[in-house]
Amino acid sequence: MSVLVEARGLGKCYPRVFRRSDRLRALLALLAGRASGETTPVLQNIDLSVARGQSLGLIGDNGAGKSTLLKLLTGVLTPTHGSVRVNGRVGALLELGAGFHPEYSGRDNIAMSATLQGFSAEELNARLAEIIAFADIGHYIDEPVKHYSSGMVVRLGFAIVAATRPDLLITDEVLAVGDESFQKKCIRWMEEYLEQGGTLILVSHSMYHIQKLCRQAVWLRQGRMQACGDVFDVTQAYLAYHERKSAGEAAPGRNLEAVRGLEFHVRGMRVNGEEAEALPALEQGAALRVEATIASRDGRVPVVNVGIARADGTPVYGVSSDMDGVQPAPTLDGDFCIVLHFTELPLLPGSYTIRVHPLDSEGLRLFDTVERTLTIKGRSPEMGLVRLAHVWEHAAPLSRSRGE
Amino acid sequence: MLPDTSSLSTVNTMPTGRLAAMLALALQLARRDLRNRYLGSFSGGAWAFLQPLVQLAVYSFVFGYIFKQRLPGADAPGYVPFLIVVLWPWTAFSEALSRATTAIQDNASLIGKVALPRTALVLAPVMASFAIHGAGYIGLLLVMWLGGVGVLPAGLVLMLPALALLFLLALGLALLLSSLQVFVRDIAPALPQLLMLWMFLSPVFYGRYVMPESARPWFDLNPVSGFAEYLRFVLLGMPAPGLTAYVCSAVAVVLALGVGLFVFRRLQRHFEDFL
Repeated sequence: MSVLVEARGLGKCYPRVFRRSDRLRALLALLAGRASGETTPVLQNIDLSVARGQSLGLIGDNGAGKSTLLKLLTGVLTPTHGSVRVNGRVGALLELGAGFHPEYSGRDNIAMSATLQGFSAEELNARLAEIIAFADIGHYIDEPVKHYSSGMVVRLGFAIVAATRPDLLITDEVLAVGDESFQKKCIRWMEEYLEQGGTLILVSHSMYHIQKLCRQAVWLRQGRMQACGDVFDVTQAYLAYHERKSAGEAAPGRNLEAVRGLEFHVRGMRVNGEEAEALPALEQGAALRVEATIASRDGRVPVVNVGIARADGTPVYGVSSDMDGVQPAPTLDGDFCIVLHFTELPLLPGSYTIRVHPLDSEGLRLFDTVERTLTIKGRSPEMGLVRLAHVWEHAAPLSRSRGE
Repeated sequence: MLPDTSSLSTVNTMPTGRLAAMLALALQLARRDLRNRYLGSFSGGAWAFLQPLVQLAVYSFVFGYIFKQRLPGADAPGYVPFLIVVLWPWTAFSEALSRATTAIQDNASLIGKVALPRTALVLAPVMASFAIHGAGYIGLLLVMWLGGVGVLPAGLVLMLPALALLFLLALGLALLLSSLQVFVRDIAPALPQLLMLWMFLSPVFYGRYVMPESARPWFDLNPVSGFAEYLRFVLLGMPAPGLTAYVCSAVAVVLALGVGLFVFRRLQRHFEDFL
């Protein structure tokens, strides 16, 4: 497979210009061939390689540098550090109405964009009808672009890019402006384009779109590459990060001294035999074994509660030993130990927290809390928290496949 | 797979392909500029010809009647042809400069959003100005020739190299000024005054010979003198400028293009940071 896009050590900084004299100083420095003084980095050290036929999703918070990276790849911006090589024709849909002149009609802007893409007048004429049909904005095609709604602008922009059949298609979040039917049309077009061997780099905040269209993903965070790889792994890590973020500050740290004075406290917690806080990621449907050792001050038998919550705090499942009519058995050290088994964990891919709490013998008062973070990986595009047992009836096998 | 030479954002395209793409874009921009410059006005394209004619009428009235500008030589044509021959190229030149100086700034919405060769943005207004005033110039010269004013037919061909060089001079200065304008915004407001001063310092409304003897050699240092006097020489048969004037004009063209291209190339990768 040939490499279509290659970026090495890519970085972009913006100069800090506050006073008027800064501009003049920057000008003189640049003319002398030196760097322009103080700068703010927005993108640092990006290494990226996209092979022909690949589809790459770019995700990250606002301001993470996604659009800057796209602009560097398309050559709109010049990198401050590193280099970009693109071995093919790029079609880009970067910003709403970028490259359109508001005073000119849709038709004029099509001609202008086609020239920018390097198309001759004959090639343009051959495709004009196709573009106008795809945009489907009626008589607005002859009206100045300033009278367009933002959806119409996107329609026109996408129609032009689609008609030029680029080797590499780069689209930023703009498609979200289109209405439902147009978005579907675009996604259908992109799927077809990918099937025919096209290459795609897509920025979206919709993980659904990213997972539907891309096989690879890159997560940018504060101008750096946080994660890169299979689309499901990266999007799940990103979503988990967001869930943790929206859960706010984590619960206050466990004060071991204070806990020791309580009637019960957790002496040890092992998940799948691991004592560590950070557990290796589990495959979807794998077995989970939670082992809790509880210290009892007065030698009374505790009730043990085990709960699973999504990283953002949404409870998924909770169960205590007394509900199932069991209790922890004493160990040789005078503690109490119990093990909870989930043979086939039905959790969907994502990040979760497992908590263990000891309760008093009546199961009324809750003492200590110990938690572990659990990551479930997998390629399942199902939605929600768990897979519910299900069967389809009156169904035929799917005829259209996504072609591997 | 062969590299696609029609691409603008491809790094490894051949230089000729890039140049062709840049020219195609500049042409497209210039055509759009011309079509739309008069689109919103009532009389449409007629303005393109009417405006210089009105300008000519004003100038010939002011200088021919009010200031009673001395007519050049007894055998030479009247003041109006004398003025036309130089005023039109000067208008093209000064308009090209003033339009192109803000070209990068005006297209800030393109820079930073669309990948395009930035020289095209500067080349386009220069081409548009020279196209519209060049067409008017040739039309007027033909009318004068048919109307029996002493325009030398050979001059219609001989003037072309001078116009081409004037175009290059304008382009070089435009590249320089437009890239500086991105950083220092004081250039565009000062330019009209400077151009006006330059016009009155050049032999546009008068000939060098109306000046005192001691001042005449200084005109050689003004690159416009060489162009103005050459045009009057080949079109109206007036005295040719000296070698010094030719050399100064040629050096100015080379210098403007060299410095303009150097500065533009050095600064263009930083435009988006300062717009």
